[in-house]
Amino acid sequence: MAAWVKGGAADVDAAVEAAADLLAASRVPVLAGLSAEVSALRAAYRLAETLGASLDPVSGPSVYAELGALSAGGAMTTTRAETIGRADVVLILGNRPWDGDLIAEIAEAAPSRGRAAGGERALLSLGGPQNGATRHVAYAAEAGGLAVSLGHLRAFAKGHLAGEAAYADLARRLYAAQYGVVVYDPEEVGELGVEMLQGLIRDLNESTRFFALTLADPFQGRAAVQLSAWTTGQAPRVGFGRHQPEHDPWRFDSARQIAAGEADAALWLASLPAPRPAWLGSLPTVAIVGEGSPEAAGETAEIVITVGVPGQNVGGALWNERRGVIAYTEPKAATDAQTAAGVLARIRDRLIEKGVSC
Amino acid sequence: MSTLRLRGDLPERVDLLNITPLALSGLSEAEAGRLAIGTSRRGLTLGDAFDISLDGSDSLVIEGGSSRLDRVGAALSQGSIRVEGDVGQRLGEGMAAGTLTVTGSAGPYAGTGATGGTITVEGDAGDHAGGAVYAAKAGLDGATLVIKGAAGDGLGDRMRRGIILAGSAGTYAGSRMIAGTIVVSGALGDHPGYGMRRGTLIAGSHGALLPTFVETGTPDLVFVRLLAQSLKRLGAAQAGLLGGTLRRYSGDLATLGKGELFVTA
Repeated sequence: MAAWVKGGAADVDAAVEAAADLLAASRVPVLAGLSAEVSALRAAYRLAETLGASLDPVSGPSVYAELGALSAGGAMTTTRAETIGRADVVLILGNRPWDGDLIAEIAEAAPSRGRAAGGERALLSLGGPQNGATRHVAYAAEAGGLAVSLGHLRAFAKGHLAGEAAYADLARRLYAAQYGVVVYDPEEVGELGVEMLQGLIRDLNESTRFFALTLADPFQGRAAVQLSAWTTGQAPRVGFGRHQPEHDPWRFDSARQIAAGEADAALWLASLPAPRPAWLGSLPTVAIVGEGSPEAAGETAEIVITVGVPGQNVGGALWNERRGVIAYTEPKAATDAQTAAGVLARIRDRLIEKGVSC
Repeated sequence: MSTLRLRGDLPERVDLLNITPLALSGLSEAEAGRLAIGTSRRGLTLGDAFDISLDGSDSLVIEGGSSRLDRVGAALSQGSIRVEGDVGQRLGEGMAAGTLTVTGSAGPYAGTGATGGTITVEGDAGDHAGGAVYAAKAGLDGATLVIKGAAGDGLGDRMRRGIILAGSAGTYAGSRMIAGTIVVSGALGDHPGYGMRRGTLIAGSHGALLPTFVETGTPDLVFVRLLAQSLKRLGAAQAGLLGGTLRRYSGDLATLGKGELFVTA
């Protein structure tokens, strides 16, 4: 474990004291990043409540592309295991689903349960990279992007457009499915596109079964959504400035707050890897980062404290994308590293001792 | 006429939800000065930020604007508010009646959920003017929103009823519209009317058109002439647009498809 204050190595007690001083002096503090285990997220929400700060996960764009559509019209979703076990038609949207091992895993198996058991599995793609590694039928996206393409496809699926267009053929294949699944990354499709897609899935469910398999962001955003919901009753971008959790995705967008000069101090929480924000260093910041990460250095921020990395040298509850749940992850090689939750709790205790309370 | 004069730069965003002529009419200036408007734990009050002069009338002038003035005229139900300068997000949110005028520019979500009255922005409006906020059922919901300058992206997103006039608009104007009328005297950005169910979009020109809008000719409609008559007092440029021949497109065929887009032929 290590800590730095204003670039100089310091012991953790001194860094915690300096962090409490920095945050206590601020008017509009923001807690950003939140790429961390659930116990650290919980400690961050508690600290924000004490401090009157707002919170914004680095996964915000992905989380809100999904939540915006979900809050307006709901969603019909399934899991990875159900997709592999039951789907006879899988539509893969855009490029991002091809990044991991998911598509190969889906392609290797055939439906073994349910209505399509024993049948074949057809893979279709829309706007994908069109690589030849996995056999699939590829459809090109419109020039306007995935959202426009999904609207066009839905018009054919509804029968509002007709003809021998490629999307008419794709729509026929979707309706022919016994158990269909669309795989997509919400951030890549965008909020408008996700809402259109969920409308298409609802249309398809008039006559067959069709679901969405959404890819989680890689920065614990799904865990933050759940934790924020059970802690505040709201989605993650909440502020405690007025003694109660207020949800406002525009007002509490940390990049906007910092660019507009509204936030005057920040705490960057990333015990797990997260893309370094452009604003780091532009305002007084406390960085709580994983041991051994590129940010674990004195010049990252005014105050830097390193903590154990969940799943590496400390245990922690993390989003498990394969299972679609929060699950405990054992450390690969446990050390006596301090946890992010412990550091955040100590900063909060010092703030309370100083009489800071929202 | 009551007056609030902004003293200087605001140290934080402020929320003027509860600052209406009606709310101020029963208060002394000292009492009004103690109303909380801050959004941080410092507890900023109206008196901290503004010089207050009240006369119990139903008109209020805010002298000196700021992009940090949120929810100006929100829930206004009678009287008028005039802001001499800019405002922040959610201008006139949920407003039911009255008159709201901003001489500068407005932030995002101007007129969201407003059910009645007239909102005028003499400068530009940010994204989602007349659009729905997170998890809201509808954007503009019966009020009249006049933007003399340019509107940002998502103008009238999920709008349910009412009229929006603007000088120009960004991308995705009229997206997810449930109903209502948007008239833009200049250009719309790309992909107007994405996911619109019903409603009317009228513009001088547009960017890339969605493949789910189909041309239905250049009809001479009595409705358009009636609309031109009713718009004369609100926006001469928009009313003038309706005098010429208009090409009609029907969409968005991805959804209900009962919306329409008219563009100068």
